Amino acid sequence: MTRLSEIGVAAELRARACAGDEAARAEIYAALAPATFGLIRRLIGRRAAAEDVFQETMMTCFERLAEFRAEAPLGAWLRQIALSRCFMYLRHPWRRARLCLESAADAAAPAGLALVTTGIAPEALDLERALATLTPTARAVVWMYEVEGYSHAEIAGAFGRSVSFSKSQLARAHARLRAWYEPEEARQPCTPI
Amino acid sequence: MHTDLESQRTVASLLRDLPEDAAPPYGWREFQRRARTPARASPRLLYGAALATALVVLVASGALAIRLAAPDSRAVRLAPAAPPAVFSSQDRTSPRELPQIRAAEAGADRWLASLPSEPLLVRVGTRAAVTTLEDRIAQVDDLLSAQRADRAPPAHLLALQQQRLQLVDSLAQVRYAETLADASR
Repeated sequence: MTRLSEIGVAAELRARACAGDEAARAEIYAALAPATFGLIRRLIGRRAAAEDVFQETMMTCFERLAEFRAEAPLGAWLRQIALSRCFMYLRHPWRRARLCLESAADAAAPAGLALVTTGIAPEALDLERALATLTPTARAVVWMYEVEGYSHAEIAGAFGRSVSFSKSQLARAHARLRAWYEPEEARQPCTPI
Repeated sequence: MHTDLESQRTVASLLRDLPEDAAPPYGWREFQRRARTPARASPRLLYGAALATALVVLVASGALAIRLAAPDSRAVRLAPAAPPAVFSSQDRTSPRELPQIRAAEAGADRWLASLPSEPLLVRVGTRAAVTTLEDRIAQVDDLLSAQRADRAPPAHLLALQQQRLQLVDSLAQVRYAETLADASR
């Protein structure tokens, strides 16, 4: 399993890409594109929108490749660009308005949405399907908090919303993921009744 | 049997274990072809600034026409103070220092915060202008954050900050016109 933040590129290849070598750029694209698109698709949800964000992310990557200081793997640097682009997309007022409408129909979200990754272990498949049923905002919040390690304050800042917005989105996302992942009769509240 | 917290930890752990790879939507050649399409962020921002200016002029003219057509002492009484002068006539073309820009932005932000959140009756055109400007400001904010994180050259940051100030100033003008129009009803 390859994580985007761990994908590195040889300095010589990077130098050739910076100098405008098409073959080197194509090689970097081939190395980084799958994990980058996977991350963006997971946060954005809709394929067409994810493709737009992915295109902008990769273009920014090649435009600013000369500024990369190699203090971390290239994938980690690209990950920051991708996350920033995803937040820009999710924060856009038009999309926010549409997401509000979508969240109203939240409960009726279809279960068979397209999966981001394929060929994964069966136990992860349920979770992948459950993730696909969340709204883009809830999915982004739960992913940023649980996987990327962002704090509630950082998520709130990225969305331009309050900390309680981030907390409530996370709680709702977890409730939905648990409902999918774990049968209700197997659950027990933290506080004994 | 699981507690809610245990389940949350399990879900979080499974999330971290999910694979990241997905088949990229298209290959290198298609990426290059799309990259040659000229719709990029910077031209869009420029287009947005031009659009915002046009909307400001339109809304301000409308508000002025309304005030001239129906003079009312109540309008004068309820009208807010004019927004702070962010730019003098030569400021729009000459570069400014970062502290000056931040001070001007703080003044405009304070003035905007002093306005009523939204008029009782809203005009679609005015709301569209306000939304567009707020959207552009958010985009520039995102761009600024990204550039700061990537340690962009100070001149670049200054240019973005200047652009943000222009947008905030335009927003203040639109909100002022909107409040005047509302008060004159």
